Amino acid sequence: MSRRGTEKMKKFTRLASTVVLAVAVTMPLVASAADRSVKVLGWGAKSGPLKSFGVNSEAALRSAIAQINAAGGVKLGDGSSAPLEVVSYEDSACKKDQNIAILRKTASTTDAIVGMGATCSGSCQAMYGVLQKKIGDTSDSGVQMPILSDTCIRPGLAKISEWAFRNVPNEVAMYDKLFTWLRSENPDVKTFSGGTETDQGHSFITHTAIIVQAAIRHGFEWVGPSVPELGPKVKQGMKELQAAAKTQHWLMGDTSYSVQARKIKKQNPDMVLVSSHPFSACGFLKEMKRQKVKPKLLVGLTSSASQETLNGCMSAAEGLIIPTGFAPITPEAISANEIVSKAGGFLDLHSAAAWENAYLVKAAVEKAGISATADTVAEDRRKFRDALASISGIAGLIGPVTRDGVTGEASKPYVYVQVVNGEWKVIHDPRG
Amino acid sequence: MDDFWFEFVEITQSIGDGFLYGSTYALIGIGFTLIFGAMGKLNIAYAATAIAGAYSSLAIFTLFDVSLVIIFIVSAISAAILGYLVYLTCFRFIPVHNHLAALMASVGGLFFIDEVIVHATRGSPLNFPSMFSEAYFEVGPYGIRGDLLFVFVIGLISTGVLLYVLFRTRLGLATRAVAQQDVAARLCGMSIHSTNSATFAVAGLLGGIAGAMTAAAVGILSPVMMLPLTIKGLIVTVIGGLGSIPGAIIAGLFVGSFENVVMYVRGIDERDMYVVALLFIFLIFRPNGLFGKTITRD
Repeated sequence: MSRRGTEKMKKFTRLASTVVLAVAVTMPLVASAADRSVKVLGWGAKSGPLKSFGVNSEAALRSAIAQINAAGGVKLGDGSSAPLEVVSYEDSACKKDQNIAILRKTASTTDAIVGMGATCSGSCQAMYGVLQKKIGDTSDSGVQMPILSDTCIRPGLAKISEWAFRNVPNEVAMYDKLFTWLRSENPDVKTFSGGTETDQGHSFITHTAIIVQAAIRHGFEWVGPSVPELGPKVKQGMKELQAAAKTQHWLMGDTSYSVQARKIKKQNPDMVLVSSHPFSACGFLKEMKRQKVKPKLLVGLTSSASQETLNGCMSAAEGLIIPTGFAPITPEAISANEIVSKAGGFLDLHSAAAWENAYLVKAAVEKAGISATADTVAEDRRKFRDALASISGIAGLIGPVTRDGVTGEASKPYVYVQVVNGEWKVIHDPRG
Repeated sequence: MDDFWFEFVEITQSIGDGFLYGSTYALIGIGFTLIFGAMGKLNIAYAATAIAGAYSSLAIFTLFDVSLVIIFIVSAISAAILGYLVYLTCFRFIPVHNHLAALMASVGGLFFIDEVIVHATRGSPLNFPSMFSEAYFEVGPYGIRGDLLFVFVIGLISTGVLLYVLFRTRLGLATRAVAQQDVAARLCGMSIHSTNSATFAVAGLLGGIAGAMTAAAVGILSPVMMLPLTIKGLIVTVIGGLGSIPGAIIAGLFVGSFENVVMYVRGIDERDMYVVALLFIFLIFRPNGLFGKTITRD
């Protein structure tokens, strides 16, 4: 080989070596980015009478995450992309101790950067209670793990801990606007009464602290047992109402509603509130029908704006009006509804929030610039929490979802639905 | 005077409603007491098999659009089969004198049946067809629900048939013989296990009717009904006297009326408290219940 040929060979060898070295150096990096995933762990009631809540939320969460991953996943702090991964979706069975146990296990034994649960308000309240209350408070040994909830709707829970976040409708605003609208649409409806299930915190508190007061605020007259303390402000006369109206309330597992329905029949109200979950709401509605109680308006609890109510009492629920944070009224909502249905779930106001939460996680991860490695879990959780706290709004399925920086509570768009001919129909859209 | 009359009508109406609805408690109580009478053991899974029977009948109704009468028959047969399975799994192979093991096994049976139903239905309430749900008779100031009246009549007929089986058939004779003196019954050629199996199946038949009646009276089926029905059934059994069928009937009707009156007067917060207090009063002052065999104290 000539000298020129030898030089050429050396150049080629140097170039090839450089390329091989570069590939060798970058390969592990590329591989590690591909191997990384942003882990989340979900939980909800997947057993017991509220199983449908957990099943629907899981189907919505997994479907939304699959859609995010199909579109390229999420951007990490180093600019690479990684998929979101649901490590598992546990069954918390709406039990406080089980929720706390899952939270602790998730925080201490997994790489999940956020816990996504749970179903019942009481469980969330207990679970939020074991979280660190104030960020950076070294004297507080509470669990430092971001929680993003979709279902526990009882007002005021988000203030328990700065690690707790909720994407749930604001029932105070929903019922306030509902009764404003009902007042304007039904000038002949003047009086109201109703009942609730006392063993379910959400139903009981929402009925006695929010719904009754909202109706009074908009000029409807309470004709149930006399409660002089009742007034238009949230919680006004709540305790007195709870005590006075206990003979027209019921329990979630009750099988007889004859006394309650008869009491309300005697009061002859124009409007009846049935602030109850589907099973007992259906039991009470059927009893009202049997006793021929025919109010001009029927108003229900947000949680009953679901398929379960139609399964249980389609005919007796005819005319029932409920404010809800989800209805398939936008292209995004229609598409999500179809995807979740194919995955074996139903989208309702709770599970739709689980879908939105997946996108909220994507937004927070990309804002936080996390590393998503096993060594940076605690750091990533904190960055993720701070990013979540700094997000003031995202695009929800039926409109923008915003978050109040002071109370930590979400503000969501809502519509009013009614059972018409055995189906939920949107009867008013206050989104404007 | 008007107030007094109004309250009188309301309370008597509550008693009447509770009395009619109490027939479902009576049937559940009879099932508990029948098994206790035969084996001296409590089958905690009994009300669960009753509700499971009703679920089976609802499945048949939905799939084949059969008549409402068939629902009660299917519910009874399904619950009888389940009752037999509960006997096989929770009682048959557990040593006769190990009462605690059998009790715990049946508790497990209750939760297992409950979870199977929750799994199959996602815990969603399901519409259950009612007979005569539109019938409502107004007699003066009183109203009587046609469907509750029907439930009451079915309860009476079922009890009558059961009493006939117990006192007029060979199966009934064997059941009573095994209950009274199992060793002597065996010496007379009666198979303890066959008799017990038959007792569970008969109790299951009754439970299936009770389950369908309860679901028809409420108009919905849900797993949340299982635990309250189990508790009410046990209370009825204890108040009536363990092992006494007339006691279970009277106690069922009484508890139904009592809880309705307490509901009317004191409200939902205190209703179950008073019913359980009633149980305590019986346990302390009349531990053998209304008609049970005398229990001696140490």
